[in-house]
Amino acid sequence: MRPLGELDDPRRRILIQALAAGFFSSAGNAAAQIFGKAPGKLPAGQSIYRVSGRVTVNTQLATLQTRILPGDTVETAPNAEVIFAVAEEAFLLRGGSRMVIEKPPSGLTTALRLVTGKVLSVFGKGRPTRIVTATSTIGIRGTGAYAETDPEQTYFCTCYGVADISANNDPTSKETVSATHHDKPLYILAKGKAGGAIRRAPFINHTDQELMLIETLVGRTPPFVFPLDTYNAPRRDY
Amino acid sequence: MTGPVKPTATNTGWCGAVAAGLALLAGAPGTASADSDFFEFRGFRAEASYTSDDNVTRAPASDALRDSALGVRVSAGGVIPISMRTRASVQGFAGTQRFGNHTGLSNNFIGTQGDFFFRSSGEFGAATYGAFIRTAKEEYESTLRDGYRHAFGVTWLKPATDKIQLSAGVTYNITDGKSIVFDTKNVSLRGNADWSLGRWDTVYAGAEYRRGDSVSTSSQSLAAVNVADAIVPDDAFDDTRFAYRFKASALLATLGYNRAFGESQSLDVSWRRVQSMPLHPPGNAPASELRYVVNQISVAYLARF
Repeated sequence: MRPLGELDDPRRRILIQALAAGFFSSAGNAAAQIFGKAPGKLPAGQSIYRVSGRVTVNTQLATLQTRILPGDTVETAPNAEVIFAVAEEAFLLRGGSRMVIEKPPSGLTTALRLVTGKVLSVFGKGRPTRIVTATSTIGIRGTGAYAETDPEQTYFCTCYGVADISANNDPTSKETVSATHHDKPLYILAKGKAGGAIRRAPFINHTDQELMLIETLVGRTPPFVFPLDTYNAPRRDY
Repeated sequence: MTGPVKPTATNTGWCGAVAAGLALLAGAPGTASADSDFFEFRGFRAEASYTSDDNVTRAPASDALRDSALGVRVSAGGVIPISMRTRASVQGFAGTQRFGNHTGLSNNFIGTQGDFFFRSSGEFGAATYGAFIRTAKEEYESTLRDGYRHAFGVTWLKPATDKIQLSAGVTYNITDGKSIVFDTKNVSLRGNADWSLGRWDTVYAGAEYRRGDSVSTSSQSLAAVNVADAIVPDDAFDDTRFAYRFKASALLATLGYNRAFGESQSLDVSWRRVQSMPLHPPGNAPASELRYVVNQISVAYLARF
């Protein structure tokens, strides 16, 4: 008679060893990396929905288990991307970006500092938020927004909601945008004539599908129903 | 039964309406953003393609002829918001397809399509339901195929995951050619999956089942004569071949890859395989005599402006 705990069937033994090693959970994660997953509201305690490439949170390599909190700095390598949520806000940070989620100075206001790179963000209603980029300061309320920044200029699209935009180097350049669906993308320049540092811009580099995805992570839906396919690459008809 | 050439239809008014529609769209001002509460112009699209086809006759292997074609298609369209959850879209399109060897198959076309869509909410996974009607006029270098192509049907589109989007549709196709051989009706049921490999790369696969009238061009055979609903000497080919219309079922499979270059340009490579079988094979010949297989490889450059 075999001692207790010793398994007769080698297939059963392999299966139990695989379960113990977390093989199936790893396989599930690998499948989700390849084929994606249906997004839903992130469970309490989880910040990151998807991470690809080298992403760090406070210089530590990020995984799906990494918590992101106010005060943290998130950085992505050039070809990396991370999708995450902090409280009622959700973000898609593209490659080559560095973003600081600042601790709110009071209970009412949160602030982001996009040092460099590209971020798509959605914010809960009723929480005034400030986004600071290399060339601009933007106050927003209940908004979906996309920003790209470098030392020379910031691209900012108010995807929906209201944004008060001002140029950092020119207090006379300011504009309030109230948008329903990407109505008025802008460039905010580091250098420009007094009152002329904000200019109209084309629509670039973000999609309605991405907005719907990150709103889902915080249990909301965007105010539009039909995504605009003109922001995706052209496809052949079936 | 032979298929006489039908009297020429006078459709200049119809063509004029399509041309006027395109001109109206072309003159419509604005960008992707809302132009008015009634109509949002969504810009122009252009497509240039090269297709290699190993069986342009749609015939059994012994009668299959290989050819390749260059194609250009331009379209313009816009959206008419109806309510928060419903909208319509209209599109006008025109193009040409030029074959290298069998020039009788070369053709020009012009047409229009209208769609109606319903989506219950802006939730990521919400499905979009649609219904469409499309009509086009086609003029070939040969004569018998000249005529109209109409289609109407219903569509369904749903993101399954954040990387996979599924779509399906049922379409009723009608062709109205100058010869009754090219008067066909068939129904197709299709399903497609788009798999996004990254922001700019998409692999797609599709399957379609088509049932109804089919036209095949081959040298005269007893099996084809027995099964055909209509026969006519095919004027698209130099040698003596006959076009047969008969009831068939076809399976179509498509595998493709789309590489985007920014938001307004992409390159698309696809392979399509068609396998067709007669629905009512003649008693005196094996069904394989009328079965055909087509392989098409296509490369297309697409642009939106």
